[in-house]
Amino acid sequence: MNHKLELRNVTKTFNTEGGEMEALEDINLEVKPNEFLCIIGPSGCGKTTLLRLIAGLDYPNSGEIILDGKEVIGPSPDRGMVFQEFSLFPWRTVLKNVEFGLKIRGMKDKARREIAEKYIELVGLREFENCYPYELSGGMKQRVAIARALATEPAILLMDEPFGSVDAQTRNILQEELLEIWKRTKKTVLFVTHSVDEAVYLADRVAVMSARPGCLVKCLGIDIPRPRKRTSMEVNEFREKLLMLLSLERSKACIKP
Amino acid sequence: MRLPTKEKGLWLVPLAIALLLWEFIAWYVIRDPLILPRFSTVIFSIYILRELVIPDILTSLLHFGIGLALAFSAALPLAIGMGWFRNVFKAIDPIIEILRPIPPLAWIPVAILWIGLTHSAAGFIIFIGAFFPILIDSYTGFRDVPKVLVETGKVLGCIGDKKLIKYVAFPYALPSIATGTRVGMGVGWMCVVAAEMFGVGNYGLGFRLFQDFYFLHQMDYVIAYMLILGLVALCVDRVFRYFVEEKLLKWKKGIVK
Repeated sequence: MNHKLELRNVTKTFNTEGGEMEALEDINLEVKPNEFLCIIGPSGCGKTTLLRLIAGLDYPNSGEIILDGKEVIGPSPDRGMVFQEFSLFPWRTVLKNVEFGLKIRGMKDKARREIAEKYIELVGLREFENCYPYELSGGMKQRVAIARALATEPAILLMDEPFGSVDAQTRNILQEELLEIWKRTKKTVLFVTHSVDEAVYLADRVAVMSARPGCLVKCLGIDIPRPRKRTSMEVNEFREKLLMLLSLERSKACIKP
Repeated sequence: MRLPTKEKGLWLVPLAIALLLWEFIAWYVIRDPLILPRFSTVIFSIYILRELVIPDILTSLLHFGIGLALAFSAALPLAIGMGWFRNVFKAIDPIIEILRPIPPLAWIPVAILWIGLTHSAAGFIIFIGAFFPILIDSYTGFRDVPKVLVETGKVLGCIGDKKLIKYVAFPYALPSIATGTRVGMGVGWMCVVAAEMFGVGNYGLGFRLFQDFYFLHQMDYVIAYMLILGLVALCVDRVFRYFVEEKLLKWKKGIVK
């Protein structure tokens, strides 16, 4: 499947008490089919806002977002989203959570169960499919959220710091699993993070953002072969490069009035 | 609530002590059955009154049922409106807040004039008592649906108020609706005595208490009926909790407790 996402001159301002706040300024970005793109930047740079615009949960003030030649005008299951906060429906079991999008679509019981089970299997939670979210650990909850987002077969998977609220070791495992899922499903993934390590480990390409107003500073391709080793020379060199770039942006942001 | 087996009979001892104390004080300290009849006398009275007790309970439950069914079916749609749509809340809340502090007893003349001396008039008083707790707890539930759950619903294709209410807000609000209904049932039951005081029929726990026993100064009968009022309410509450909390709200177990 070849799905392409394009952002053209996207600008977003918020009306706050202190007047207008420019959150995103003139964002141009092209996400290639099957690409794993990380968006990284200091907190408050609008990376979550950018993802929400693509998801259709917010609207840009100007510019356009185009997925497969069609402009994005609202939320739709063709863009799956995994949130930073735990977002499982607490009254639904794992299976029912993953089935949700299919049920809304009006799919019959048996068909949607089959699909849901396939994705639960994919995230390795087969034995937990009848558990309620309160019985799961943080990492498991996010796995379910990923399975749920994939179940509707979206063209693109949007992930907003999905591993931000799990512990470091679980995060490493989840990253590996995500790469495996990405390899198997061949999805286009747009992954927002503030962690340099995460970006370098996961991405084909990293888009670096600066804060206030949020704009894209640079896109860097990472051509380190996979599977990557977190402690290898090349990874560390790239990490260094990214960190430099980010600290440069931070110091620029401080000088600005 | 589930008590560990060891603590299961914990309530028995204080209850036995209280009853013994009552028996002892009535017998040796007060020595006047017109002020405080003995516990054993009261139990015996229930036996004497056995012909009346069952029809009285059934009549009171009829009034209670009418009132509660009315209250629930009026409060729930209103709660959905007030909790989900801000403008509905703003428009209706002042009216609710004016009506809410009026005691159910103050509605008795209105009930008699509007409805006459019928079972429905008694039901109306109970309706007034039960309506507000159900309404307020329920709309709080609909109002407090976490944003991330609503947005998750949207990106999975659950779009539009009708679908969001059905699949996200309603299940989320269910525990609040249950709490409101429980509180409403408590208040409604308290109104039973008042509702039957003005003679809507020749049966009913409240009717008996005021029309028969009080005038005859039969304290043992009065207290017997007070105990029955308490016991019936206890049973109703237990049945409700069993069905609602154990069956319907299984997923909440980890959260409350």
